[in-house]
Amino acid sequence: MKNFFTLSLTSFVFSSALWIIWYFFVVQIEGNPNWLGSLFYLPHAARVLCIVYFGWKAIPALFLAELWGPSFSLLDIESLINVIPGLLSVLSVPLALQTLHWLGFTLGNTSASPLNKRNYKHIALITLISAIYNSLIVNLMLTRFSMSSSEIGIDQIVRFFVGDMLGTTIVLMFLVISLRPLLNSKKVN
Amino acid sequence: MKKFFIDIADALNMLAGIENALNINDFSPNELRVFYTIISNEAKSGCQSNITNVVESSGMSRSTVYKTLRKLSGEGIIALDQSPDDKREYLITFS
Repeated sequence: MKNFFTLSLTSFVFSSALWIIWYFFVVQIEGNPNWLGSLFYLPHAARVLCIVYFGWKAIPALFLAELWGPSFSLLDIESLINVIPGLLSVLSVPLALQTLHWLGFTLGNTSASPLNKRNYKHIALITLISAIYNSLIVNLMLTRFSMSSSEIGIDQIVRFFVGDMLGTTIVLMFLVISLRPLLNSKKVN
Repeated sequence: MKKFFIDIADALNMLAGIENALNINDFSPNELRVFYTIISNEAKSGCQSNITNVVESSGMSRSTVYKTLRKLSGEGIIALDQSPDDKREYLITFS
């Protein structure tokens, strides 16, 4: 229980921090064009990293951050519109992990594991598959239930995919640079 | 709680892998000083540095500069080529 609380809090703070940073940059570019922010969607990194390293237990906290993130208020009626797309976005990562598991690549943390969470290339693969799922499923959902104010085309699906990939890459680069003293002092095995 | 720290250690290992792949090396204070001396010398004079220039500009001993340059050369950051004019002198180029 203590572990659940710790990792939930870590996931929520990490995801919320990425929402705030992302929102700050979106405000800077003043949404011009209004989809520019979706080309570097930082919060996807929180979904991938927290679910890969903490497992399913991180899902409730990530979902909560997903609801809070876009409007920074859980009481905002607009956040309720994001319930289903937000949940689907979070679930895109476990879905990617499950797909890889079905293909015989089970996640582990040793070099013998077919999918090794210590290997950044494997994390990139999980990000790629989850980004595909996220862009397809969320946009399908938005189209099916007419939840989007603008018309959804293939360009929006591609934008979602590129945004998730690029956003995760930016966050990983930022973490590598900012945690360098720790990485060099520890060189964990 | 132990599991949480194992998860964090796994994440740090993954980030360390990216750092290694990007070949971001950590400079020691001496390496940093020599490195910046070479860059500033080249920027000021517009020509290739040699060991004597670096010793004079950095204020470090010749043996320390030589040892540091050897290390940087071993890491593939710079290359040391014998000067065509003076066989005892080495010219420094960035790899």
